[in-house]
Amino acid sequence: MSKILRVNMTDLKATYEDVPEKYKPMGGRWLTSAITCDEVPPTCHPLGPNNKVVFAPGIVTGTAAPTSSRVSVGGKSPLTGTIKETNAGTGWSQSVARLGIKAIVVEGQPKEKGKFWLLHITKDGARFIPADEYVGKGLYEVYPKLFDRFGKKADIMGIGVAGEYQMAMAGVCFNDHEGKRPSRYAGRGGIGAVLGSKGLKFIVVDSTGLPAAIPIADEALFDQGRKKLTEALRTHAVTKPQGALNTYGTAVLINIMNEAGGLPTRNFSSGTFEGAAKIAGEAIFEGNKQRLGKELYNHACSPGCIIQCSNTWYKPDGSEHVSCQEYESVWAFGANCGIDSLDVTGELIRLCNDYGLDTIEAGGTIAVAMEAGLARFGDGQKAIELMHEIGKGTPLGRILGNGAAVTGKVFGVVRVPGVKGQNMPAYEPRAVKGIGVTYATTTMGADHTAGYTIAPEILSVGGKLDALAVEGKAKVSRDLQAATAFVDSTGHCLFIAFAILDIAEGFEGMVEECNGVLGTNWSGEDVNKIGLDILRMERKFNEAAGFTKVHDRVPEFMKYEPLPPHNTVYDVPDEVLDSVWEF
Amino acid sequence: MIEIHLYGKLRRFARDQDPTSISVVHAPVREGDTIRAVLERLGVPMEEVGSNVFLNWQYSALTRKVKDGDRLAVFPDDMQLLYKWYFPKVGRDVEDDRG
Repeated sequence: MSKILRVNMTDLKATYEDVPEKYKPMGGRWLTSAITCDEVPPTCHPLGPNNKVVFAPGIVTGTAAPTSSRVSVGGKSPLTGTIKETNAGTGWSQSVARLGIKAIVVEGQPKEKGKFWLLHITKDGARFIPADEYVGKGLYEVYPKLFDRFGKKADIMGIGVAGEYQMAMAGVCFNDHEGKRPSRYAGRGGIGAVLGSKGLKFIVVDSTGLPAAIPIADEALFDQGRKKLTEALRTHAVTKPQGALNTYGTAVLINIMNEAGGLPTRNFSSGTFEGAAKIAGEAIFEGNKQRLGKELYNHACSPGCIIQCSNTWYKPDGSEHVSCQEYESVWAFGANCGIDSLDVTGELIRLCNDYGLDTIEAGGTIAVAMEAGLARFGDGQKAIELMHEIGKGTPLGRILGNGAAVTGKVFGVVRVPGVKGQNMPAYEPRAVKGIGVTYATTTMGADHTAGYTIAPEILSVGGKLDALAVEGKAKVSRDLQAATAFVDSTGHCLFIAFAILDIAEGFEGMVEECNGVLGTNWSGEDVNKIGLDILRMERKFNEAAGFTKVHDRVPEFMKYEPLPPHNTVYDVPDEVLDSVWEF
Repeated sequence: MIEIHLYGKLRRFARDQDPTSISVVHAPVREGDTIRAVLERLGVPMEEVGSNVFLNWQYSALTRKVKDGDRLAVFPDDMQLLYKWYFPKVGRDVEDDRG
């Protein structure tokens, strides 16, 4: 029987509770959002005693389902003030599932300020260990020490100094699979700061001595689904071995988005970057080939992933620099800061991993700081110095560490490309208007992952949509957001979307896996319905926290500053944005 | 003339094939030319062309007409990663509709 582990940081108690009936089919985002809605007062201060942090593996996490090791982390965000779900791929998620834990709910606050704890969970239970000796240090120094202490079979969730400082861009760091590096982040929304406010520095889990798979209600059905999805992933051009993701990584998109005129450049002042080819996936592949003397294909971020899109960047002497230079991170510090060197973006990403920061918010903030005149666009050395300010927690670092919106306000910058206080990721809404609808209306603040998944025509019975019609964009965005909410609940990585978009059996496989594990009888339409239920629940939380449709808008400058090369402004009418929520 | 930017394995049709730079071919345009016609004349095997084709920064079908002064970018089939449902494709191409 799986349990909910309630971790009370006020009296340092960890208690296993039965799973309430209504939570039983849930996993991942569905569960973190449900528990947040049920237990967190929407008007609470995100860093106060009444906020909580909820961890939940997905529905099929801890089975042999391919690419299914995501963990969702939820609560109220100190960056946006909205509900938040952020997720990462890591063996930590599988271990938690195998330990029979459906969710971990972290609540309360220690009486003693500045005290930090580590929670160690094994088959024998959960215990608190003082973590003071790890405070104030970089995660590249600390993670190896923790693996020495708790063994190589352990997996770690942790926060860096940014979380200790309670900065709104502090991420939640999990180790990767290959090198046990502090490199897999549930980055967005500053949940690392909430953990910092609770004095919880690490959760170390070890599922040694437990069965390799979680209980499955209908093994035959699960297996049938798993095989269909695996086949789809292995054959699709994007997800197959030595396909686009495995060869070039997500950064293959740098050149593609640049050619689409939608690669945000120099703090969202252009849609193309003249240095794009130097920081794209091809350049990463070529750079590693030259430095290592052989072709290097990408690796799995987490056990059981068959897409394997995570890369490692090597220094000129052939030693490892950082993992990983993925699209959003390379863009955030590259094109968006006018920097065209992979060695510089690599170092900036490494610093994020070390200090415990979300790369998207950090890159967006450095770009706003450049706009403010704290550095020239393209000045990598100065960008690195600004990142060290964050790591040291200097007054300037504290400003930057609270994100692009705070930095823009402090330095009087009008061009701050965020929604609900969260900086936009690497798709320009003036060039890609549909994604602007998602940025504006998602419950999460500007977030690309909130709505890029299964094609609406697979999910809806209404037939194909005309994506050209402005009115159509609201429905496209809503359906994509709903489908994404479901995929984020399964434990699958969103990248399965590429395969299940084009291969219907792959989509069926995903649903059959869930039905196999849970003993449910969901159809494709149920997937849409569940997704919409999740969105409704999250939206209700945000409304109670004070958010209205006025907050569902892209920043004003995008409505009057035409973006080259398309030279278009953001002209999707407010009524269209509002209609996303009319369902 | 049309300016064609090639990526990945398609860079082999350009003189400069450095994967960290731009690989450009300038090709003449004839009356009524489509993207497909221009690429075929260049000798690009169409099975190697993915769905990520951009004419003047617009995600485009291969049937789209080209004209003098246009800028075309073509990615190979092993490099397609566009979240295509957000990108209305300009021009319709039945064979190529789903990319």
